Amino acid sequence: MTASKCIQDVSFSECESSHVGKLHLQINCNSDCIYVLRSMVAVMTTRACMEARQSNRVSIAVDELFANISKHAYGGKAGRVELETFIEVDAHGEQELVFDFRDYASLGWKGSMEEAAERSIDVENLCPGGLGLKLICSAADHCEHEVLSDGNHWRLKFCINKSL
Amino acid sequence: MDANLKFTRHDQNETQVVLQVDGDVTIHTSPRMRDQLKPLFTATMKEIRVELNGVDFMDSSGIATLVEGLQWARLTGGRFILSGLSENVRDVFALAKLDTVFDIDANVIEEKSA
Repeated sequence: MTASKCIQDVSFSECESSHVGKLHLQINCNSDCIYVLRSMVAVMTTRACMEARQSNRVSIAVDELFANISKHAYGGKAGRVELETFIEVDAHGEQELVFDFRDYASLGWKGSMEEAAERSIDVENLCPGGLGLKLICSAADHCEHEVLSDGNHWRLKFCINKSL
Repeated sequence: MDANLKFTRHDQNETQVVLQVDGDVTIHTSPRMRDQLKPLFTATMKEIRVELNGVDFMDSSGIATLVEGLQWARLTGGRFILSGLSENVRDVFALAKLDTVFDIDANVIEEKSA
């Protein structure tokens, strides 16, 4: 698939007067998109001045969530995914890097992010999909999932000034 | 990035082998790593070492493939060792809480950018 079919819309808003802007991307689920996501993660973690290990954790969580949406929500077929990423300040004055994913899959995911985070990995009976979800929940500082009438909304948050 | 994943097999002797992996191990490349890894687990092979000092990024599919290796090693009675893990790759194993499950060489290489 060509890049023009994969990437439908890219906009850079609120970037004019600040290096801490918002990136918005609408893509079709396919494997090539992972390179676009990696670039977005690199831009945002650089803006957030994250060190290499923390930046890698963001890459892992974003990659895994996108792969899960592509594989499980859309069954490996092309499907619309919107991604927005920005830096915000929480109620305690701490900066967070936020990634919002929105899919339009016909079936909403019924699982629990909290359960996924707590689940131990059974090495003898490994479920690869479960491992991806485990990594998402472990790498991100906060995970949210909401079933919508026409898909799913996912939010990942990463504390910027955290010592690993 | 992914397309450059390379494998080099070093036979130490009849019972020990090292598989050198270079590149990113992702959902797109891990099937190739599985194809390289699986034939190493035979009844005569006593030690299978995967050298990962050329791997900067590994996702859950890469880890799942190595878990398969662990399962194959248990079936064939060989020792399965991971070595040369970068700080990032080791961190992913820790996030999955699998860092204590594998036989991982203690040495952690410095990040290439350092």
